[in-house]
Amino acid sequence: MVQTEAFVMLSAVLFILGAMGVLLRRNAILLFMSVELMLNAANLALVAFAKQWNQAEGHLFVFFVMAVAAAEVAIGLALIVAIFRTKQSINIDEMHKMEG
Amino acid sequence: MTEVILFIIVGGIAITAAVMMLLSENAVHSALFLIVNFACVAFLYLMLDAPFLAMMQIAVYAGAIMVLFLFVIMLLGAEKLTEPTKQFRWLAPLALALSAAFLLIAGVAITSGQIDLSSPNERPPMLRIVHAAPYAGPVDVYANGELLASNVTAGKSTDFHALAAGDTEIALNIAGTSTAAVTTTVSLPGDNTKQANGFTAIAYGGDASTPPQVALVQDNLETVPVRTARVSIFNGYPEAINLVDFGSETDPSDDKIIVGDIQPGATVELPPVNQDTSLRAWAFTIVNSAAENLSDLNVLASLNNPDVFTIKRDSAELMVVGAEQLLDGTLRAAVIPLVNDAVASFGGPSSIAQLLFTRYLLPFQLIAVLLLAAMVGAIVLTHKESFVPRRRDVRRKVAKPLTSAITDQVGHDVLTPDDRTPKLPEKQPEPSGD
Repeated sequence: MVQTEAFVMLSAVLFILGAMGVLLRRNAILLFMSVELMLNAANLALVAFAKQWNQAEGHLFVFFVMAVAAAEVAIGLALIVAIFRTKQSINIDEMHKMEG
Repeated sequence: MTEVILFIIVGGIAITAAVMMLLSENAVHSALFLIVNFACVAFLYLMLDAPFLAMMQIAVYAGAIMVLFLFVIMLLGAEKLTEPTKQFRWLAPLALALSAAFLLIAGVAITSGQIDLSSPNERPPMLRIVHAAPYAGPVDVYANGELLASNVTAGKSTDFHALAAGDTEIALNIAGTSTAAVTTTVSLPGDNTKQANGFTAIAYGGDASTPPQVALVQDNLETVPVRTARVSIFNGYPEAINLVDFGSETDPSDDKIIVGDIQPGATVELPPVNQDTSLRAWAFTIVNSAAENLSDLNVLASLNNPDVFTIKRDSAELMVVGAEQLLDGTLRAAVIPLVNDAVASFGGPSSIAQLLFTRYLLPFQLIAVLLLAAMVGAIVLTHKESFVPRRRDVRRKVAKPLTSAITDQVGHDVLTPDDRTPKLPEKQPEPSGD
């Protein structure tokens, strides 16, 4: 029987790795992947707490987070494709100006 | 211990995959490492009793979303587009410091027990009251002075009512009056381990002079094996009874006792009963050790009416064997079937579906609308706008109208003021030769 704390700690570590990816990588696609990693870490914590308190609502929230993540990825990747088409680059440091 | 070892291995792989995702130069490698991470998280979901979410994780995350990522990476040829820029050089040490600080704070908070994990909230007890006392007549049911149901006749049951945990006073008043037929106090504990915490109070027995007794039975509404039902029997008849399966009518050798010698006031739970089991040949009989054949036993009540007595899959059924008074004053056994759906297994698809289609229907619809909007948005964003103007029918533009060019050549106006159609001047008749 693994303690809930262990799962929450693992989830915190994964979340931080995702946050570091968002801050340090400059490739917009990798940035999105890091956001997915963070969402996954949050999901893991939700499932661990659902087991701890024996409540299925936590699972339901994970379900909703998955749906939102799918929508977010669809829109985000479409934006990346649109930006790449005009700028020929997806380096986010080159996108800090609000120019065409 | 096996679980701990598995957790350490799988968690280690998950963290390693996440780190490799961050460090790898090639975006395709990053995506593949992220898939490994998602698979590890799905395995952890399985360890946390969430099989449905584990499958969703594989299908939606590792399948659909990551395929989308890989498509976009390969479509844009963006595998190696991460040359470090000179701007924002201060960001990397700052990010590392902030991450370390957050990990430290979260780690201390989690490991030092600052997160309260010790007090799972208790489920309130649910109580229903069954009226199986033949002499009491219709009653009003009160719990802690609050009316739960009025005019409950013998052989009927109230619905489940959620009550506060602790001692509860149950009063059965003769219908329409404040005269208590029976009053009793039961102790209902809250529970934090089970999905449902149900109790049944059964008023049974008694006669014209003595009040009925009340027995409290804890309902077992927990998950049943697939395609089976759980059947419990409460004996509220004044004598001990048998539950006998008589098999085919003509063959006395296939008669068998399913449960024997159920004492008055006792509850017996049968082994899981298959959903296809027919109750047509089942009957409650009196206990008579002197009888040679089971078919000699005196049948109290038969379960041969398939409209009333059926085995419903995934249900927890409590059969209360009570008594009812005939017109001549004698007693006859009557069986009250109380069928309830068993709680769906924790983390399985049916338990999530039950919540999704009852309490969380509106958020579910909102999510569906959001996904639809995202689909439309993705199509609009990636729709290739044509910056090249479309080839139109370019008319040749002439500086002077055509009619004036003709005018210049023929020497007079080809347009008459009243008629806008250009005309050539009338031909002069040629002089004839004769």
